[in-house]
Amino acid sequence: MTGQRRTTALIGDDNRVVVGGKTLTWRTLHKLPQLPSPAAVLVDNGADALAAVRHHAVHGTELLVATSSRVDLAMREELGESGFAVVIAGGDEHSVTPAKLKRVEESGRVWLLTSGSTGRPKRIGHTLETLTTVRGKQQPRTWLVPYSPGTYAWWQVVTLSLTQADQGLVVIEPSELETWPMIAAEHGVTAASGTPTFWRQTIYRDTEALAKVPLEQITLGGEPVDQAILDRLQEIFPQARISWIYASSEVGASIVVHDGKAGFPKAWLDREPDPEGERPILSVDGDELVISSPHHGAGLEGAHRTGDRVEFVGDRVLITGRLDTDEINVGGSKVSAGLVRNVLMDHPAVAWARVFARKAPLVGRMVAAEVVLDNDLGPITDADLVQWCTNRLPDYGVPRRIRFLAEIPQKETLKSDV
Amino acid sequence: MSELTRDQIRDLMGEVMKAQGKVLPSDDSADLREIGFRSLDFSELALRVEDEIGDELNFDAPGLRQIAKVGDVLDFIEQLQSA
Repeated sequence: MTGQRRTTALIGDDNRVVVGGKTLTWRTLHKLPQLPSPAAVLVDNGADALAAVRHHAVHGTELLVATSSRVDLAMREELGESGFAVVIAGGDEHSVTPAKLKRVEESGRVWLLTSGSTGRPKRIGHTLETLTTVRGKQQPRTWLVPYSPGTYAWWQVVTLSLTQADQGLVVIEPSELETWPMIAAEHGVTAASGTPTFWRQTIYRDTEALAKVPLEQITLGGEPVDQAILDRLQEIFPQARISWIYASSEVGASIVVHDGKAGFPKAWLDREPDPEGERPILSVDGDELVISSPHHGAGLEGAHRTGDRVEFVGDRVLITGRLDTDEINVGGSKVSAGLVRNVLMDHPAVAWARVFARKAPLVGRMVAAEVVLDNDLGPITDADLVQWCTNRLPDYGVPRRIRFLAEIPQKETLKSDV
Repeated sequence: MSELTRDQIRDLMGEVMKAQGKVLPSDDSADLREIGFRSLDFSELALRVEDEIGDELNFDAPGLRQIAKVGDVLDFIEQLQSA
């Protein structure tokens, strides 16, 4: 970890990188051929994605990296028309479709695609600098990388490893998601970041295997984080620090909570800016979370309406879900799908739940739910769950129709449709 | 799936009532307010019927009508299925 680097980004060049069953370092990853710039590199595995990032760190190539499956043919056309050569990476071989528009590259620019949960994915401009939000010296750690290449959360872990010493990576490919705890235990993973859905699925599949991973740091993000999943993880890993992060491509990592509780303290709202300008400013307008963040994407300075709905519970601010889907109007009475979901998730036998509105006569919409049960805890009926909710929610908030699913659904982004 | 019979709809209505800790009387002339069958219960019954027949009910088809008794609910759902 000595000697001159072309950029500070390569401080972690000798960090261990486990990918595709091989133990390498950033430095010894296979090299991609010289990329055109701008380039949209579409990958099918983590090794190619990391190789593209290192190429960018060394050469400054204007880069968008994403999985092939996230970028359909129409989007590839759009990228070409926006000046990107589309590179299909495949280990030592790759194909290049030249850009249809010739333009000057933005050296050092990194592009992220939003998750597309609110429509078609958008391109958000960043740099390695704006993506690197962890700057203080970190304890030596080996990080799990379960995220899909190119997502904000993926970049967070990847830039941490690239810019800090002693931050190794163990990359989990989609085909390894079901057995990741075994791989993580084998390679001594001590820190892991995933969506609440990712953690729930892992607990649901094999808690024993998960408990064997020597985790010291557990991070959740990408979806609303409820108290039940935080408590469950703390039970399994009583010594670990458990954090949740509110982050998006648009505003970057803006809320980081380490106290083991869902939501963030109300006292964090409308604080004075810190002298260094490092701390995002959080506020609430109506019931929408608004953030001014130093980690924002290009052109997104100032207050950003997140589209996420918040609710005040005691001295905490809970983020309950997307504004456009979270509120269910039942005959004029409004209820938050996120809060109903939290009540369901608090039931000891519920491993996962999705709450949504169903069109219904007389009241317009009714609350309905899909649930995955933890079968170790005995037979549970929909009537049991209705009763549970009836004791904790107003009558219009009780899900009247509950469907049981065999397993937790998950998208490529590790999120579920909640 | 085919339409539900009146008896099947009555069974589903009984399940809705049971889930609320109540009992559906056998008499079609029983008053809904007296037995505690509310609009949320009616809506739930409609969703249960939809789930059984695997299709959405068309609530726009029949005209507005008063639904005051158990028999009115059964009539209305029967009519909706054939709308």
